[in-house]
Amino acid sequence: MSSTRLTRPGAALRRLLMFCAAAVLVLVWAFPVFWGFLTSFKTERDVLAWPPVLFFTPTLDNYRAVMQGNSSILPNLWSSFVVTSLATLITMLFAVPAAYAMARLRMRLKRTTGFYVLATQMLPPVGLIIPYYIVLQKIGGLDTYSGITAIYLSFSLPFAIWLMITYFEDVPFEMEEAALLDRAGRMRTLWYVILPQVRGGIAVTTIFVFLNAWNEFLFAVVLGGNTVRPVTVAMYNFISVEQTQWALLSAAAMLAMAPVIVIGLAAQRHIVKGLTVGAVKGGGRR
Amino acid sequence: MTRKGEAMTRSASVRIEGAVKRHGKTTVLHGIDLEVHPGEFFALLGPSGSGKTTTLRLLAGLETLDGGRVFLDGVDVSHAEPGERDVAMVFQSYALYPHMTVRENIAFPLKMIGEPADRIAAAVIEAAERVGIGHLLERRPGQLSGGQQQRCALARAIVRKPRLFLLDEPLSNLDAKLRLETRAELRRLQRSLGVTAVYVTHDQEEAMTIADRIAIFMDGRLAQVGTPHAIFDRPASAQVAAFIGTPPMNLLKAVLHGNSLEIGTDRLACEGLIVPGAGAAGPSERVSEPERTAQAVLAGIRPGDLEPCEQGGLVAEVEFVEDFGDSAIINLMIAGTRARMRSARRELPAEGTRLRVRPKPESVHLFAESDGQRIEL
Repeated sequence: MSSTRLTRPGAALRRLLMFCAAAVLVLVWAFPVFWGFLTSFKTERDVLAWPPVLFFTPTLDNYRAVMQGNSSILPNLWSSFVVTSLATLITMLFAVPAAYAMARLRMRLKRTTGFYVLATQMLPPVGLIIPYYIVLQKIGGLDTYSGITAIYLSFSLPFAIWLMITYFEDVPFEMEEAALLDRAGRMRTLWYVILPQVRGGIAVTTIFVFLNAWNEFLFAVVLGGNTVRPVTVAMYNFISVEQTQWALLSAAAMLAMAPVIVIGLAAQRHIVKGLTVGAVKGGGRR
Repeated sequence: MTRKGEAMTRSASVRIEGAVKRHGKTTVLHGIDLEVHPGEFFALLGPSGSGKTTTLRLLAGLETLDGGRVFLDGVDVSHAEPGERDVAMVFQSYALYPHMTVRENIAFPLKMIGEPADRIAAAVIEAAERVGIGHLLERRPGQLSGGQQQRCALARAIVRKPRLFLLDEPLSNLDAKLRLETRAELRRLQRSLGVTAVYVTHDQEEAMTIADRIAIFMDGRLAQVGTPHAIFDRPASAQVAAFIGTPPMNLLKAVLHGNSLEIGTDRLACEGLIVPGAGAAGPSERVSEPERTAQAVLAGIRPGDLEPCEQGGLVAEVEFVEDFGDSAIINLMIAGTRARMRSARRELPAEGTRLRVRPKPESVHLFAESDGQRIEL
């Protein structure tokens, strides 16, 4: 009892320090977003004003331009949406049963399989671009939705499998055994007993996979083209050798970020849980 | 004992033949032979790691055999899936489905075998009423107390009227008072259902009070099988003796000289002192007269079978006294070995005093010091 009383001033100080550290982090993270947000309402002249102006007459011209004009990014948002949704859907369809098998079934070569799944994550993406390019070129997959989606799967699947394994491992064995004794069989046990308990994990994994694919740039810029041009690539077009159209770029960036921010806020609680899953138990697995 | 109106009691007979189970290189079960009669309440008792839970899981089909066979009602089910065996199990952790209500939990086994909805509804209510949680059907397991969760697990197990009921330390997560109540209720429930029950516990008192028969596991082997009385009265080995009873039997190092027993510097005449040999109660060995010259033995005396005496007997030093009010346990040091004596006396000896104690007539059990096996004279 006395020890808690003794540590109380220390705890308060620690909280203050933590708060300051968090504030600095938020500032560092939020400033570019905030500045981009302001810039998206500026005219190009205000953007380049020196010293930078904080108070200006806001305009919606930039948004009008990136949505309706020649440089409309709406087709690109659609392109992003298609690739991201396809990749996410297929990833989850395969990752959930795969992770369950890896977490639960006794099978031969499980460790080896697990290692190879993980090994695909060890390669630097840049090292894969040229092989991927050549492969897609040979099979006619360059600048097609199926081609790009397939490439996205190559990194989203292992990631999703490894994340989902930790969730499946958290479900007590006995619960599964109880269901087996209740004559549920493997598939119905999975459906009625296991999956409902990893719902949170499925949500988190889906969001992570979606965000990763949505934010992907490197593969999209090299392997895409006029047909498949996600918004990340389209935004890059506002940067050219002669000039960077900061205002338009900012407006496009705000539009591209919108779904990410909405999802992030909506799923905040789940995401934090997802980041700390396995922190207590089996933390080394991922 | 079957309740009136109970539709056809189903109770399986169980036979295990030479069951061997290995986990990697360690052998968990070294060839177990066991028979459980229909309608019996059978306890598997032993310290942790003795193989009792593994044996239960073999019956459930949750473990595969590395040798031997398992029969239910005379049918070899050694390789049958858990769901094919028509057995129900209550797990130590209860293993309730946290996302389902109590009603859905209890209904689950029936839903899985495709019972019609109205039959399920009726059966769920009956099972829930039977274990006294009829008013909690809409709650989720997380909203229940430990005792209520335990009842929910019981209801889920009895709802489809299995032929065999497996219980894996079902009371170990309850507090002491609730455990005593539930123990009696469990026994009543099993009697009223008439179902065969196999019950795993490491609590010997629990096994002694609840079971018709007990199998005692030691290091993956069966040390003794019998009724609680038979095991208490005639433990098959020193290990069993040291495990059974509250507190367990005292085991004093002794030397058997012809007709007298030498414990430390004291000598006791065997005549009328040793538990008379009778009936076959587990493995035992008889010692013939010539062999009886100076054999190293362990003399087993229950705490309640020791009493103070004026002269003769054994010299003992009082280490400390545990007073329970109506009785007391006096912790003694006899010939370098700790021993306990139960005493009802009001005036208890002070710590550090010396006194003389003697075993009551026909109360001393003898075990060979070499392997701990019971010796009948």
